Amino acid sequence: MHLKRMGAGAVLAAAVCAPLSAQVAGERIQITGEIIDTWCYFSGVMGGPEAVVGSAHHTCALWCSAGGIPVGLLGDDGEVYMVLKLGDDDASAGGDTQLRLASHQITADGMLYQRDGLNYLVVSEVVADDGIVNLSHDDFGVTPGFAIPEPKE
Amino acid sequence: MRTIAMIAVLLGTSPLAAQDFSEGSEARSWNLYAEQPARFEARVVDMLCAVTGDCPEDCGGGQRQIGLLRSVDDVLVYPNKNAQPVFSGAAVDLLPFCGADVEVDGLMLDDPDIGARNIYLVQRIRRLDGDEWINAQSWTENWAAQNPDASGEGPWFRRDPRVAAEIEAHGYLGLGLDVDAAFIADWF
Repeated sequence: MHLKRMGAGAVLAAAVCAPLSAQVAGERIQITGEIIDTWCYFSGVMGGPEAVVGSAHHTCALWCSAGGIPVGLLGDDGEVYMVLKLGDDDASAGGDTQLRLASHQITADGMLYQRDGLNYLVVSEVVADDGIVNLSHDDFGVTPGFAIPEPKE
Repeated sequence: MRTIAMIAVLLGTSPLAAQDFSEGSEARSWNLYAEQPARFEARVVDMLCAVTGDCPEDCGGGQRQIGLLRSVDDVLVYPNKNAQPVFSGAAVDLLPFCGADVEVDGLMLDDPDIGARNIYLVQRIRRLDGDEWINAQSWTENWAAQNPDASGEGPWFRRDPRVAAEIEAHGYLGLGLDVDAAFIADWF
């Protein structure tokens, strides 16, 4: 019992002394997936997850990326990786590189960090850019419906 | 048990991850599936810095995403959205508070089924050493200042030069102008 208390106390002391806000260790990763608009994906504000990816949501993804909403990489494993940097471009709040890649399927090589339930990705290199491969407009049209302005007569 | 719970809290793996921060919140609902009102104290941080240690002095000067390191449990909260319903993020509103201790009020999203943990919509901010709440709705004003040649009618996202260039080059669906034309003919 005494040893258990000592052990718990040691762990507690370590926890108190540790800089909890310090950075977490990263691991090298290569992953393929789509550059998505995380707010629409997480919030459901524009519909379910399948409706806010791919070509159906491309225009909205451009708006959100240009608007400074974080982009993520929706991996083939189904996980969302919040993108903090793309190559030399650390402009994660509305930068040009992420705007150009909106809705594209890419293969990214970089570092994965995990903290407080989220995956963070620092991309060293975009190994492949396959363009938009998810033709979701076949199933969903466009989301939101006003993404394409009605043509003038 | 109490000791274990304290350790878990300090390690950030505790029930605090799902803690109720709604007390005192005046956040407006957006009727989102997983939203919860959340008012809490935090330090405003550069997200890339907080995660990787790459830390310029000015939180990236507006280039980078800005986070909230929650005071009570050291959880890194990721503000994805400001209070404006116009496809706008939160970094512009939070950047002036870089490095400061603040109180924020807004909506927390927690939907683990799709990977949403500690995702936040910030509606208002105040410095802990001040009384004045500031509404998180400065994005459009900032955009207008940076795009003086894009003035005109309609929302910013219809007039943004970068968005317009992408659509002009690749279409609304991003698949090329021919695919766009066929789709639009059928859609309307």
